[in-house]
Amino acid sequence: MPSLLRRVKSKMFIFAHRRTLTLLDGEYGSVFKGRSLDFDELRAYVLGDEVRDIDWKATARHGSPLVKRYVAVRRHSVLLLVDTGRNMAAQALSGETKKDIAVHAAGVLGYLACRHGDDVGLLHGNAAVSRYVPPRGGEEHLERLLREVDSSVDLAGPPSSIAQQLDYVLRYLKGRLLIVAVADEFLPDTHTENLMRRLRARHEVLWLSVRDADLAPERGRHGQADSMDVGTGAGIPLPLAMDSAVRAAYTESMTERARKRKDIFRRLGIAEEQAAGSEDVLTAVFTLLEKHRSGALPARSAPKGGTRAG
Amino acid sequence: MELTYWWILPLAVAAAAIGVLLHLRRRRPHHARLIAHGDRLTDLPEYQRALRNHRTRLALAVVMGAVFLAATATAAARPIHRTVEQPEVRNRDIVLCLDVSGSMTSTDAAIATVFQRLAKEFDGERIGMVIFDSSSVQLFPLTDDYDYAAEQLTQAKEALESGAGSFFDGTWNGEGSSLIGDGLASCVQSFPDTGTDTGTPDATGGAPQDTKRSRSVVLATDNFLSGEPVVTLDEAARMAAAKNVKVHALNPGDMDYGAQADQPGAQLRAATEHTGGSYFTLDSPESVPGIVQKVQETETNSYRAAPQSVIADSPAWPLSIALIAGTGMLVLGRRLEP
Repeated sequence: MPSLLRRVKSKMFIFAHRRTLTLLDGEYGSVFKGRSLDFDELRAYVLGDEVRDIDWKATARHGSPLVKRYVAVRRHSVLLLVDTGRNMAAQALSGETKKDIAVHAAGVLGYLACRHGDDVGLLHGNAAVSRYVPPRGGEEHLERLLREVDSSVDLAGPPSSIAQQLDYVLRYLKGRLLIVAVADEFLPDTHTENLMRRLRARHEVLWLSVRDADLAPERGRHGQADSMDVGTGAGIPLPLAMDSAVRAAYTESMTERARKRKDIFRRLGIAEEQAAGSEDVLTAVFTLLEKHRSGALPARSAPKGGTRAG
Repeated sequence: MELTYWWILPLAVAAAAIGVLLHLRRRRPHHARLIAHGDRLTDLPEYQRALRNHRTRLALAVVMGAVFLAATATAAARPIHRTVEQPEVRNRDIVLCLDVSGSMTSTDAAIATVFQRLAKEFDGERIGMVIFDSSSVQLFPLTDDYDYAAEQLTQAKEALESGAGSFFDGTWNGEGSSLIGDGLASCVQSFPDTGTDTGTPDATGGAPQDTKRSRSVVLATDNFLSGEPVVTLDEAARMAAAKNVKVHALNPGDMDYGAQADQPGAQLRAATEHTGGSYFTLDSPESVPGIVQKVQETETNSYRAAPQSVIADSPAWPLSIALIAGTGMLVLGRRLEP
């Protein structure tokens, strides 16, 4: 099996020709308020200090040995919270499997965290089970996480239920985490919304939604086949999806649904961004980080594609 | 109503069952797009309504398909309609026996005209013609070639009307004129032998069939004998009776004096009645058609042939049902397949 992380990286570097990768790094770094890898102060040398820490120029100016002090680097922990239920085996809006997009999104954020020197952990699962991999550094670890996500999504597996994973985090994980949730375009019910609110209170939360397939595609676009709901197993015959009355009602109801979702995330104060396909992921991550940094969630901060980044 | 190949029906049922089974089995790895949150669409009332309509159409299409298959299978099994018929066979032999002595020509012409017309309507009958004066000439033998007979009758009619030409050649070879006995005898001779008395079927016709054919001679004569015939009228009548030939006589000039049996008209009447035929006197040639009609009526000796079972294909109704069902399927198919 080819390395999943390499695939993520190669896509990122293709992206880097258009945007600068460092810009992404910067966006990531600014997520944490207390920046720490910084020079703090100079103080007099005391026995036991590392000799290589002596600032020779300052010593020469001052006359007595001075030692550079750094604020101790605090390693952050990033938790990838990924839905690996049956729903993720379905098609995304772009026609890819939602799982692939989720892996890609998790990979991008995990890689940024790795470059920043943070630890990356994983919590994934479905309605039946939640699995936790504690945060660790290193690309090998990240690769392992991505593979776990990739292999956990199965059509025959239990259905998705992100509330289970949210509950797990709130129940068992202590300490402030940067949580990157990757799920599909579900509509949170009251219970889930409460969990999300509590999560938001305890942790930094970034929410990346993988957009679901268009159920009533226009004539001539892809998706010209009967559909089957992976959740219920119910089929949707193509002629019905093509019916103009049904499609009009569907479009209207989707607009309403998108508005509801947006309202929920705004109410919760969680930065949310959507990715329709794997091409969208980097732009979405960039916009997401920016949204999060700006703290406020303006109604329409950035049109998709993030022209500001260019 | 019955089916020629009834075994096609169970065969078709079996084929349809196998087809359905195969389809159901192959349906498992159905190629469908996998989606999540299908309730986004399926919960819409518009979708529910469309789904109900879709199901109705599908059910209708299935019914149509079943009807179509049943109808075509029935048509393939060849539904037939069997009826028993007794075809009427008209099998008469008529010989026109015309005395062409001078006084008779107009009557003869009228008879020829009538039979020329009748010949066109004949079906199964045979007609022959003999003319005689002092000797007899067979114009044409018994034939069912009606075109030929009509042609000959036309010629005869024209010749009789004009009263000249080579038409009458050969009728004066004997002694005297109007040798009616000889004429009638040669007319009777133009019927083939019945075979019942000889015991050997004749080569051309098949004797048993000929015995069933009614035989009649239409004899037109005034029975004014001048000369010495070889066969007398009585003898000729007995020959006719022996051969089962009925003689119908038309006498245009019945000028008997009194009711004596030796008067020409009375002799003729006696002769015809001996053969079982009838005797008519003619006032004018115009009454010939009516008399011929009467002769025809007395001679409607039609036989009923052996009952035959007639088998007629009747594919119309299953095929029209199939057509309607097929059209319905096409229309529904357009609706089902966007």
